[in-house]
This record gives sequence, C-alpha cells and structure tokens, in this order.
Amino acid sequence: MVNFDLNGAHISFEVPTTMTLLDMLRIELGVTSVKKGCEQGECGACTVLIDGYPMTSCIILAPQVEGRHVYTIDGLADDPLMKELREAFMENGAVQCGFCTPGMLLSAYALLRDNKRPSEEEVKTAIEGNICRCTGYVTIIESILDAAERIAPD
Amino acid sequence: MKPLTGFSLLRPPTLVGALEMMSTLEHAQPIAGGTDIIPTFRDLGSKPVHLIDLGLIEELNGIIEEDGKILIGPTTTHSQIIASKVIENFAPALHDASRWIGSVQIRNRGTIGGNLCNASPAADSVPPLLVHGAEAHICSLEEGHWIPLLELFKGPKMTVLEPNEILMGLRFPAIAGIGSSFQRIGRRKGFTLSVVNAAVYVERNGDELKEARIALGSVAPTPIRAPGVEDKVRGKKMSEELIDEASAACVEVASPIDDVRGTAEYRKDMTAVLVKRALHEAWRRAGGEL
Amino acid sequence: MEYDRILSDLLNRDEYLVIGKKTVRSDALDKLLGKARFTSDYIPKDTMTVKVVRSTMPHALIKRVDTSTALRVPGVVTILTAKDVPGENEIGYALPEQPFLNDKKVHYVGDPIALVCAIDETTAQEAIDAVVVEYEPLLAVFDIDAALAEGAPIIHKENNVAVKTKIRKGNIAKGWKDSDVVVEDTYWSPYQEHMCLEPEAAYAVPDGVGKVTIIACMQSPHLVREKVARVLGWKLNQVRVIQALTGGAFGKKDDTGPLISGYAALAAIKTGKPAAYIMDRSEVVSVTPKRFPVRFKYKSGADSEGKLTAVEVEITLEVGAYANRAPFWLWRQTAHACGPYEVPNVAVDGRAVYTNKVYGGSYRGFGNLALHFAAEQQVDKLAYELEMDPVDFRMKNILRIGSRTTCDQLLDNSVGIDKCLAGVAAASEWAKHREPVRIGTKVRGWGVGCAYHGNSTSRSTPDWSAASLMIHSDGSLTYRTAICEIGQGSPFGHAKIVAEIIGCNLNSIKIEQPDTDSTPDSKPTHGSRGLMMGGTAAADAAIKLRERLIRVASNMLDCPETQVELRDSQAYNRKKPSIKIPFAEIAEEMHIRGENPASFGFYTSPRRFFDAETGLGYNYAVYTFAASVAEVEVDTETGQVEVTKIWPAMDVGKAIDPLIVDGQIHGAISHGIGFAIMENLQLKDGVVTTTGFKDYIIPSALDTPEIDDTIVVEEAYKYAAFGAKGVGEPSIISIVPAVVNAIHHATGLRFNTIPITPDRMHKALKEAGKK
Repeated sequence: MVNFDLNGAHISFEVPTTMTLLDMLRIELGVTSVKKGCEQGECGACTVLIDGYPMTSCIILAPQVEGRHVYTIDGLADDPLMKELREAFMENGAVQCGFCTPGMLLSAYALLRDNKRPSEEEVKTAIEGNICRCTGYVTIIESILDAAERIAPD
Repeated sequence: MKPLTGFSLLRPPTLVGALEMMSTLEHAQPIAGGTDIIPTFRDLGSKPVHLIDLGLIEELNGIIEEDGKILIGPTTTHSQIIASKVIENFAPALHDASRWIGSVQIRNRGTIGGNLCNASPAADSVPPLLVHGAEAHICSLEEGHWIPLLELFKGPKMTVLEPNEILMGLRFPAIAGIGSSFQRIGRRKGFTLSVVNAAVYVERNGDELKEARIALGSVAPTPIRAPGVEDKVRGKKMSEELIDEASAACVEVASPIDDVRGTAEYRKDMTAVLVKRALHEAWRRAGGEL
Repeated sequence: MEYDRILSDLLNRDEYLVIGKKTVRSDALDKLLGKARFTSDYIPKDTMTVKVVRSTMPHALIKRVDTSTALRVPGVVTILTAKDVPGENEIGYALPEQPFLNDKKVHYVGDPIALVCAIDETTAQEAIDAVVVEYEPLLAVFDIDAALAEGAPIIHKENNVAVKTKIRKGNIAKGWKDSDVVVEDTYWSPYQEHMCLEPEAAYAVPDGVGKVTIIACMQSPHLVREKVARVLGWKLNQVRVIQALTGGAFGKKDDTGPLISGYAALAAIKTGKPAAYIMDRSEVVSVTPKRFPVRFKYKSGADSEGKLTAVEVEITLEVGAYANRAPFWLWRQTAHACGPYEVPNVAVDGRAVYTNKVYGGSYRGFGNLALHFAAEQQVDKLAYELEMDPVDFRMKNILRIGSRTTCDQLLDNSVGIDKCLAGVAAASEWAKHREPVRIGTKVRGWGVGCAYHGNSTSRSTPDWSAASLMIHSDGSLTYRTAICEIGQGSPFGHAKIVAEIIGCNLNSIKIEQPDTDSTPDSKPTHGSRGLMMGGTAAADAAIKLRERLIRVASNMLDCPETQVELRDSQAYNRKKPSIKIPFAEIAEEMHIRGENPASFGFYTSPRRFFDAETGLGYNYAVYTFAASVAEVEVDTETGQVEVTKIWPAMDVGKAIDPLIVDGQIHGAISHGIGFAIMENLQLKDGVVTTTGFKDYIIPSALDTPEIDDTIVVEEAYKYAAFGAKGVGEPSIISIVPAVVNAIHHATGLRFNTIPITPDRMHKALKEAGKK
C-alpha cells in the first residue's frame, strides 16, 4: 500500500513493490500525460515533480513515493507560471509531436519557480535531461526565457 | 526494458532496522535513488531478492562540518552536494564533478553513496573524493570501521562490501586555502557517462607545491591514485614544465580499455590533457599563479 | 490549374488571411495540457499483451519452434507462428521476401518468429524465455564486401544484390578529358537510428464478426490497412486503421506501422480479444529499420574555370536483412548523385547489397543525406584544388531555371538554391571568415553545404492525394486527410490552406485523425509530399466547397458571384460590405437546398517521362533546395567538436507557416549535427550493442548551436497549393556537409566517414601532426 499526494489529492493505493511510479501513474491511476520513452531515466519523457523536484518516474519504485507530493502537468493546469509557459510554447511554435512536452514543461516549471531570471545556459541545463528529437530545442529555450520575462518583468 | 520482477522492497525507517535486514536476509541489496540499480536490474550480477531502501533513514542524509572534517551521508543526492556551500568551499572538485553526473532529474534522485557503491571505474564523484583523502565508513549490525576510499573498490562494479554491510558515510578533512579541480570528457555536452575523468588536489606554499594528489577515472578497472607521480612533484616549485611532466607521467599509470564510449588510446592521451587542466585550475584556486 | 496563383486568380485578394503568418498550431494546447493521446494512452488496463519472439541468430534455418512449454506458463493466452497466419505470410515493402513471421529462415538478429499473447508483460516475457527455437546456423555476412565476395552465403538471392540502378548522361570519357582537376575518394555513411521519443505501439480490437479496428503509430493508414488485410486474408473493408497522434516518426514509422499493426491485429482476431503491442526502447533500437549505411566511390572533375565537367559514382548501399525501401532509396541517391549542380557528363552505378544485420528503411533525407555528405565534400575538394572560394565554386555550377539535373531533368519552375546560397554567404559574412581562427586550444572554422531533394515519388511514378471537407449546419467544418500528424504540422498546414480558400476562421476547422473507414487515401506521409501533395488535395476540396458557398451566398446576398467575399467565416458583397451573413446561415441554407455540404479533393502530379535504360528523364515533380553555413570549434587537445552556429536557408516554394518552417529547420539541424558528430550505432556479430539513449547519444539542449534566422526563399511551385513545397527533409541534408566542411576549414582534415567523435578527431589530428 502506498499513500501519497498526487496533484493535490490524497491517494491510497495497493501496488506491487516491483511496479514503477511511471506504470502506477499511467496504468493504474490513468495519468497518461506522463510518457514512457526509455524506462532507463535517460530521455526525461516521464519526468514528474516529487516534493517539487523534477525526477524521472520510470526508475522510481511506486512505494518510494510514500508520503511525498507528486505533481504532473495535470495538477498545474491552472498554475499562473505553467500558464505563461504554455502561452510561450504556443506562440513560439515549441510543440511539434508533443511527446517530450509534459516532461519538458515540468523541468521548465521547476527552473522558473526557483530562478526567476535564468541565463540561456541555465535553461539548457534545466532541460538537459529532457530529450527532444523534433524541435532542435531552440524554440523551447526561447519559450522558457519568454515566460520568465513575462512572469517577472524587469 | 524487460519487466522488473522477483524482488521485494523494504523501507526501514531506522538504521538499525536496515542493518538488521542486511544481516538476516539473503540476497539483500541497499537502494537509495535507484538511478543505477533500476535501469540495469535485469543485468545485475547479484540478482537481489530484497531491496533495502535507505531513503527514510534521516541520519544517512546530509552534509555537516564537524571537528575539521566534512561528513557526507550516503543518501545525500548530487543536487544536495551541488547546493552545499561547504562542499563548494572546501572541495570544489567534488562540487564540479557532481554537476556532471546525469541530468537534473538524475541528480535530484541519485546519491553519492549509490555512485560509489555502483563502483563504475568512470564514477565522477570518486576522483575528487580520492584526492581529498576521503575515507568510507563501512557498517554492519555488529560493527563499523573506516577505510581509505580507494580500498572500497575491488574491480569494475565491485566493492569490498560484504553482504551484511552498507556504506554508512564519507569523511574528508576540511582545509582552508587548498585548491582542487575535476576535469572530464564526455561524448556530447549534454549528460553522458565520462569517457575519461581526473581530479587534482594541491596545497600551496608560496610557489611551491606543498601537497599534490592526482586521481584518475576510466583508465583502470577501478578509479586510481597516481602516488608515483605525486611523489615526483611534491615539494617542487610549480611551473608549466612541472605540470607537463606530471601529466605525461600519469599516462604511464593509465591502463584503459576500448569500449563503446571510447578507445584505450584516446583515454591514455586524454589523461595527460585532463591532469594538465586540473593542475592549472587547482593551482589557481589555491591562489597560485603561473 | 496553377495552384500557386490561387490568391490572385481565385480569391481576388492581394493579401493572405492566414498563409505565411505565424499561427498557433491547433493541436498545441492539448499537447501542452497532456490531454493529447498517443497510441499507448488509449490502451485500457489489463489489455492482452503481445510480445514478439525474435531470432537470436543473424543467419540460420529454423529447424523447429517448440512452444509447448511456453504455452503452459499461466496467463499465456496463445502463441502464434507462421502456420497461424490466415492470409499471406508476407510483409515486404518493395520485394516479396519478408515473411510476416519467419518459419523457414531468419536473416538478422531480431527477425520475428512468433507472437506471444499473454495477460501482462511479465507473463509474456516468461513465455518468450520458454519458447525453444532450434536453428541450423548459416554463415552470416556483416559487411557489403563479404556479402559480395565469391562464395558468400546467399541471404535472399545469388550474389546478394537486391537491386541495381544506373545513369548515363553525356560522355564520361570526354568529361575526364575536359577536366583540369580530378578528385577521387571513397566515403562511408553509417547507420543512423531515428530515436523517436515515442516507442512504437499498436492496439487492435476485434468485433468478433469479421472486422478489426487498429489504433497505432504510422505514417500511412492505407498502407497499414493494405498490408494487414493481406496478412489476415481479409478485404480492405474488414480492417479499420486509425492513426493516433504519433510521437515522432522521421520515416521509421512508415516501415514499422504495418508490422506492429499486423502483430496486434493477428493476435486480436485469433484470440477474439483486444490486443496491445508496445515496443520497449532497446527493442526499437535493436530491430527496427535504420538509415541505410552506404559507400560511395566518387570521382569528380572540373575545368580550370571551375566548371564541373564529369561525375562518376559507384554506390554500394547496405540493405541489411531485407530490401524494404532499398529500390527507392538507391534510386534517389542515383538521381541526385551530382548534388545540386549542373554536370554535363555523368555515370552512376548503384547496387543494394544484403547483409545479416538490421535492415534499412525510411529516414528523413531518404538517401540524400549520405549522398550529399559525399558529393558536397567532393565539390569542396575541387574548390580547394583550384584555390577557388567554396561558395564561388558552387555558385558557378549551381542549378538554376533552365538547368538540367543529374538525371537530365530540365528545371523550368521553382528553383531558388542560388538565392539560398547567396543568402547564407551574406548572413554569415562568409568573405570575412576565410581563415580559421585560433582561440586557446580551440580552432574555429566555417563550412558551407548545399542540398536539393526531389519531392514525392521518383521515376515519374504517378503520385496523387485526396482529402475531404465538410461544412456543418452551424458553420463549423470537418477536414479529413490521411496525411499523418507526426509532429511536423502538415495536417495543420492543410487546415490553413482550407481556411485561406474558404475564408473561415482557422479554429472552426476540426482536423480528424486519419481513419481508413472515412478518410480518403492521401498516400503516405513521406518524401516531403505531405504538404505539397496532401495540401493541394486540401486546396481542391476547399475550392469545390468554396464554389458552392459562393453560389448560395450570392443568392442570399442577391449579388453576382464574382462580388462575393468570404472572410472571417462570413460572406458579404464587396460592394455592400456592411451586410454580412455568417457561415452558419449559409451552411443551413445549403442543407435545406440539397447543396452538397461535403467535398472530395483530389490532386495528381503532372505526368512525367523517365527512361529506365539511361536513368534520365523528368524524375521528380519539383525539388526543394537548401543551403547552410556552419561554424564549428574544434578543441585540438581533446578532439571535441562543437557546432557553434548555423545559418540556414531553404527554398520552400511558399511558407505556409513560418513557425512550422523554423521548427523543421531547427529540428533538422539538431538531427544533422547528431549524425555528424555523435550518433554512433554499434553492432557486434550482427547484434546492436548501443541499445538506448545512454550509448546511442543524440543532441540534448546543451548541444544546441546558435541558429540564425532562417532565410526563407519562396520560388513558388506552380502545381501546388500557394506554391508550397516540402520542408522536412532538405533542411537536414545540407547540415552534415556544412559541418564536415567547417571541420575541414578549422583543422585541414577531411573525414570520409561520420560521426566525427572526439577520439576519431583526436586520432586524425595526432596522425597529421597537428596539435
């Protein structure tokens, strides 16, 4: 049994210890915004926030989130910072196939939440663990910098 | 990835509880962040049946400065190390190395204890700890003892830990005014395993190299020190020539292999380049000029 | 119809409403909210899992497949082999040599033998481990020379050559006589793995009475349907194929779509249960098709003025275990062999050779990436031999209106490469960077690459596309195309074309996911034809519907049809603009009057002529062109190469959306850089050893160069909607040569193979005595 907080709601769930957090979220709890790309912690598509920290859920065992606060983009839909990020991504054309997008947004969100005015290098480091094969990253980086500008203007 | 099967996950809230489990259960293996264990579970030689999660044990996490030493708990994450002013100040090589371990997601989860116990010859946190004279605290239910970190490693992916033992912590002296540096080469700028890495530690006395320590990774079955080279340069006046001499001498100490990430020849050659760069940076950090 | 003149001739406007403007993609928000669903997001919990039992031998006869133990594993539903295939056990793309499930012979490690259907992944894996396959090993060949050698084991046919190509133009002997400089070299371009972020997945649901519905990743639902129906022995109307939003494809999913759908569908109809097949990453990297490796023996000549006189190329394409796309891939390389230049005397010979390794398949660039890697270095070398500026040399020979291509195709429309080249040379201040610059241990250099890429099918194979459009009685519209959304935004481009022609608000159009039960066949999403062909079919559908809207509106407005303007989902009389009728009212009226609210759009490309004997003729409907300048920094101590800046240019005919064009260019740059300096697929005895992101490294955000604003050249293509040509592929083709030529400029070193990894660069620098 694992008890934890998912997107602000308390969850109590019977889960085998061999199940990853990713599979528990996607298969058992129907949170399909979290994607499965490699199951090795290498691509970042499965990124979630655990107590605010971005982590790859594919290499975390479900019982290990006992007592923790887990967030996916679903739980941040109305968050003002997340809204700015979405706006920026849309305006800059930073979404192509969309598979890396949820994980990318969470890494970007965690960055801007803690660092209001990141440099381009800091943005790249924040999303280093989120692989994208479609966009070449340029518009994603621009979007994150734009969102920073808008949420905390000079 | 083939599905994970055949193990139970135990999450003892206390250190004693964990050590008890390690003593009584067969095929028990500690796990913290799991960033090495979970992706390679199917290929693990030891085929653990019980994973003992150390993540709930508070005393195993954290960095403290005490009695002139810095103590690091094994479940301290790489992100915690990067954020630590104490580490940045007293062990800049470790601060720098931690930045190169994985991505933000991996650093938020992966631990220094895990990095050490995984015992890859390319582990980035090891060369900095080695040059800072780190010791490892090995504990079982019955007893605990400290060993020089170098002795922790037996071979590639092999430590000296007995089935009932865990790595309980690390310590190294906190000395002001020293300089240390970590250098590495990866196959891309984004996160990737080091093809070759090295760390250097110096203590300066004017323009004399009062103390010099060099550690090399990815060039032997385990990370190594280069005591022969260290002896050669210790006490000498620092100069470009001395740096070149030391770097070239390190190549002789290296015995790398070819693998998917790089060739032995490349690793040997790069050993000299990295040691040279590390000596420069460490010397500069110790307030020296060339 | 000259579709590039729609704006002036049909719409009577000077300005575009939406074409050429930056617009937010219609699917962006859903993807950003995590609500957009990919195949595996549709699969309900506890759906029966399908896994594939694959060959562990690179080349062997199958003596026996024993599933008896595996069948007894609790939770196994069934295990299917070739004898369970009701239709034809054949799934080859071009040549009928690729069994759906192998029962006689295996040709590479990973060749499918059986399908395990089980209650979950763990059980399926246990069953796979329990299936016993008895092989009689055959000698395996792992490189093209071994495969071509006398007495080599036969993989599919004697001499292991799948297909040959040939071009003879002019007189090659004369060409050499006319040459004052000749450069000759051999190039090797290796495998590349697409690394789509979404691993393949397929979900099939049987209805129990002779129909199966499949939701899967793919690039052509109609191709999938055709292949699956053949395997099942069913008619096309018994197989319903729906393309789910796909998380990256780049060509691979055009090849894997039919396979994965076939596995799920066969499992579903045999068990009567819904079935799901999801690949894991290491399976994707190990067994699915890759960029074809290829060797070029390339000889080029030029006269002292810098005019190219002769090109002779021998192409040996490594096909791997199955020919798959090889005939088309090899042909494309053959037809483009000179690069985007005019060369009077050409001799090209190509052959595609089998080996016992993972086979080649569609991949962005489709042969042209490797071809230009060779061709553009040859051109660069000639320039250096003649001590001519590499840009000037290219300009002297570059294709223009009136030029003839490698295969003697006369270019009479839409050629903008000279502007592309001039553009990037100016933007990068090329003339100021003619010497490499030393910065500490690093050295900085600049290189140029040019590219061209024929859109759509080759050798005058007829190409056509269809689409459908419907207006509902509230004025909203449904648009259907079988061009698949794989990230590139093509269907959205179609919607913009429709919106421009019909004058409706862009967000009033809903683009349906391709569904073979209701979507017309648009032919596949490949060959850079999605927008060019598919979009023109969209235009045709829109034009037809527009006619009816105008007819009814002119009635309602009581004015001549020529005075009716459609804009913002409203109709009005240009002479009395204050009275506006919303589309909802016009649509309602159409329904009442029995005016067809739906239209079927169709477009076929102009007839072409091609002589199979000489390989000469009108090969491609149109070419897209690109040019790039790359700036690189090489650390001479460590051998590490960093691509620091790219100046890209592309002739796209007409940019339907600048954000989409830029998106394609940026993605292509990243993809190309990966191939040039870091992507290294390794195999040992036919087994892929770099099976994941950890060892098959691709660019991360930190590996991104600075990318200058795209220079967009618009030489409209007469026969496509608004003049638009394909964007996705040419962008990647010019990058690799630009980077490789820049590395040469920086270091003086040429690399005849890629990737140029740090240890290869270091070794080359060491051997050249340059540190």
